[in-house]
Amino acid sequence: MTETTPLSHYVRSSRLDYQLRYELLGKALLRVQRWRDQRKLAGLRPREDSVLNPPLRCVAYMKEMMSRHYLEGRYANGVRKVAWVTSGAPAELLKALDFFLIYPENHAALCGVRRKAESLCEEAEHDGYSRDICSYGRTDIGAMLSGKTPAGRLPRPDLLLCCTNICQTVLYWYRVLAAHFGCPLILIDTPFLYHEAEAHQVAYVQRQLEEMVSVAEQVAGRSFSERSFMQVVDHSRRASELWLEVLNRSRHRPAPMTAFDGFIHMGPIVDMRGDPETTDYYERMLDELDERIRNGVGAIKEERYRVLWDNLPIWYKIGDFSKWLGGHGVNVVASTYTYAWGELSPMIDPSKPFESMARVYLHPILNRSTGHKLSSMQRMVDEFHLDGVILHSDRSCKPYSLGQIDQRDHLVQEMGIPALLLEADHNDPRAYAEEQSTQRLEAFIEMMEARA
Amino acid sequence: MPIADRLTARKAIIERVRGLGRKVVAVLPFHYPRALLRAYRLHPIEVWGPPNVPRDKGSQHFQAYTCDIVLKATSFLLRGGMDPVDAILVPHTCDALQGMASVTADFLKPRQPVLTLYLPRGCRDSDRAFLIAELRRLAGCCAEISGHKPNEADWAEAFAAEEAADRALASLYQRRPRLALSDRDFYTAVRSREFLTAEDFGELAASLPEGDPPADGVGLMLSGIVAEPLELFDRINEMGAHVVADDLACGYRRVYPPAAESDPFARIAAQLLACPPDPTRGSPIEQRVAALRSRMRESGAQGLLIYDVKFCEPELFDIPLLRKHLAAAGLPVLHVEFEMGMTVSRQVLTRIEAFVETLQ
Amino acid sequence: MSKPEVVAIGTDAGSTTCKLVAVGQGGEVLGSRLEATQPHIELQVGELLGQLRSELGVDGPVPCVATGYGRKLVKDATRSVTEITCHARGVFRDLGHGGTLVDIGGQDSKVIRLGNNGKPVDFMMNDKCAAGTGRFLEYTSARLGVPIDELGRRALSTDREEPITSTCTVFAESEIISLLARGVALEAILRGLHRALVGRIVAMVHNVGLTPPLMLSGGVAHNEAVRALIEEATGERVLLPREPQLMGAYGAALLGTEGKSAA
Repeated sequence: MTETTPLSHYVRSSRLDYQLRYELLGKALLRVQRWRDQRKLAGLRPREDSVLNPPLRCVAYMKEMMSRHYLEGRYANGVRKVAWVTSGAPAELLKALDFFLIYPENHAALCGVRRKAESLCEEAEHDGYSRDICSYGRTDIGAMLSGKTPAGRLPRPDLLLCCTNICQTVLYWYRVLAAHFGCPLILIDTPFLYHEAEAHQVAYVQRQLEEMVSVAEQVAGRSFSERSFMQVVDHSRRASELWLEVLNRSRHRPAPMTAFDGFIHMGPIVDMRGDPETTDYYERMLDELDERIRNGVGAIKEERYRVLWDNLPIWYKIGDFSKWLGGHGVNVVASTYTYAWGELSPMIDPSKPFESMARVYLHPILNRSTGHKLSSMQRMVDEFHLDGVILHSDRSCKPYSLGQIDQRDHLVQEMGIPALLLEADHNDPRAYAEEQSTQRLEAFIEMMEARA
Repeated sequence: MPIADRLTARKAIIERVRGLGRKVVAVLPFHYPRALLRAYRLHPIEVWGPPNVPRDKGSQHFQAYTCDIVLKATSFLLRGGMDPVDAILVPHTCDALQGMASVTADFLKPRQPVLTLYLPRGCRDSDRAFLIAELRRLAGCCAEISGHKPNEADWAEAFAAEEAADRALASLYQRRPRLALSDRDFYTAVRSREFLTAEDFGELAASLPEGDPPADGVGLMLSGIVAEPLELFDRINEMGAHVVADDLACGYRRVYPPAAESDPFARIAAQLLACPPDPTRGSPIEQRVAALRSRMRESGAQGLLIYDVKFCEPELFDIPLLRKHLAAAGLPVLHVEFEMGMTVSRQVLTRIEAFVETLQ
Repeated sequence: MSKPEVVAIGTDAGSTTCKLVAVGQGGEVLGSRLEATQPHIELQVGELLGQLRSELGVDGPVPCVATGYGRKLVKDATRSVTEITCHARGVFRDLGHGGTLVDIGGQDSKVIRLGNNGKPVDFMMNDKCAAGTGRFLEYTSARLGVPIDELGRRALSTDREEPITSTCTVFAESEIISLLARGVALEAILRGLHRALVGRIVAMVHNVGLTPPLMLSGGVAHNEAVRALIEEATGERVLLPREPQLMGAYGAALLGTEGKSAA
């Protein structure tokens, strides 16, 4: 039942194309672009008319890494085996088999930031995908059907890897991808943790990880080496640890970065964990944050209130929010979302790669109870010295959002801090009402003022 | 006499099964181990909304984009509707029911324990092994509630009763073309399995009259989670159509084939995993298309009516491909969404009526 | 010369307007009525029927087919049929070919794929939200104080367009208010509103699959901006029947001439 017609926009590249356009020309051009960006960023001084301090200089490296990643993707088919994987999937196993990985969620977010998501969602809606379906799913299905993407071109998958530790939605979505591309779909099913993980749950995930190896080997056409797996896991652990440290730097007052910076800088930890460059990148970022802390430079010029963001970002509003909130002296210093890629790093044990990965992939915040989510938020409020919480009620993400009404009430009642439930959608701007949201945010800030 | 008038009320059933030494569990949709509950002396009464309960209390805990089953079941719980039961079981059918189970246990904290059951999304050996272990875990919780641990005879009795009822349900579907029952009566009978004991259900199913079925006109197959309210069937009949087959979570998706394993947990796991293709279990779309196509042909259904509770994501993802592949087989598909209540909205009825007109 | 004989009457009781059409043996229109829907549809249709019958000199019983959301309330109806089948039949009779028919009604919008025999093959209707229906325009016309029949012309009178991101009627209203407060020209807002409505309609067109030609019926067909923007979005010219608003009632009357009286 494979769809054959709309695949014309997936082309096989020759090895020569790949070498020439990506390895030689592409990489060089991106390096030049990065030097330019670096020069520009180094020359930036705080502007009087801006409420924000200049962006982190390391962003030039991140842009280079992400662009290089998507550029390689353009020429990957026919040269490297390609897998499309969910954001919480055990990518390390596929990395060890040298798969080139595409993260459709990250791609959808990229479309959201570039404000292309709405038109791609419409492409999917024209094909009959309901507006009540997750807007990441609609964005990517729209890109798949139309071949349109701000990334130029995505490589066609040889393998799909779907892990249910973030939602069941990804499974329904990947079933659509599997029917479309006619390639194998590996499912890693991770039972939802209403309480602490039990032995049978860990054993189940571990067994699926072990069993996926042979399927992946077949597609990859090479055999799996536990040594290289352990190496990838080790890089992954190191990158996650560094990412956690990066985020925790915002415990300082003023915080050297905002959660909005975090949403942008999380690209490598999501897309490239397991790569040595990712570790280098976060080391660089950490150095720059420490420099800011030494110099007492905050991400926003005047940090009056420190706030936690819960749930996915509103991708098409990141820039606007960051400026608007900054202008009101609000620094969103932490988010439960960016934390998810760091907080599990202590669980990673390269000496027991399968078992420890099973534990790690069972424990993302999205796979844990609503009560656990509340206590995570409460802990962050204490550790980051926060004055309020914005809970983005994300129409597209039910596992993250259901429970927020009670979580908000508990935050207000037990911690005595203002908490705002903000109705929106992470990728579909049509579900966002500017006026209503602004009014609610203003009232939220007034409440923090009243407490100060 | 309409079937509905022959059914014992849920309250009376609760009293009767208590008299038999069983405790009562409210169960949310929709796959769960009946024989296990029975062996542990528990009696399930299912909660699918209910449609007549207002959303108000549920809306205080869940956003407006939550499906009505969760909103109404939460309202029902908070309004005391589940007071007579001893436990609440929420199978992990979807992200919405996951949210409901978690919020209920963590924040609403009812008097009754909240039991959960994770249904693996595959049919591999690993899924089977996990489900067996998960059922054992659930059994431990059941033992705490009823204070009873089944011996071999208890298991044998439970399997005999529940598998007889499973066969009775399967035979209802087989005999559908010969049963002299309106669509409403047929589905009232099918859905009485949601609260009757296995014996009572078997007795009811055996007693249904055969003869000339009252239906003619356009044959429809109905797909979705739940067809509420039952008035829907009357309206469909008035349009000159009738329901000849279904792919409903409250209907055919629970026609489990028999299993032969001797270990009770393995036997239950085998049954649950062998359910007909079901989007909430992550069945591949091509399996669903093939199953729907052949069942529509067998039953003479001319069109597929997908009748979805608003915001049901597991159902929504498959629709474009179902539409496409069934249309290619000459089987038109209509998708409508409804908000659960005591009447079917005019807009929904107009869509169905227009669909029937195109099939006439 | 004797008056042509009325063979059937169609009534279309919609949420905004109530329409009646009487046809003769050859399906020609002999008379019609159109007025705003009143709260008591049953009485209103009865009265309009009486008027039409006496105007055309109809004494005996004539088949009367009812459509529209009030179709079940029409006492005198011999049969009731949905708007989908009726609009399809009326437009097919008037324009003479299959294709894709868009009917934007007050409460419901539909896109119908017509086979070459004039029968609906497939159709799609808006979801419950009012944003894809005529109500969206009515609502905003009231809000902006622009008469409904001027909306389209005013929207096309400018090249400037203010995008309306919220397609929810309620959210759109607050967006309009803030745009006006910011001094954005009324015409640019109107153009954006039409674009939002058309966006919803075109999504349904693609969903059903666009088979040319594209035809438009219903009251909103008179709105030139809706027509122009649909043409722009689909790249297809939009054809109109002679009386777009009467197509439902006309199709109902035509079905009455076929002599069925079941249902």
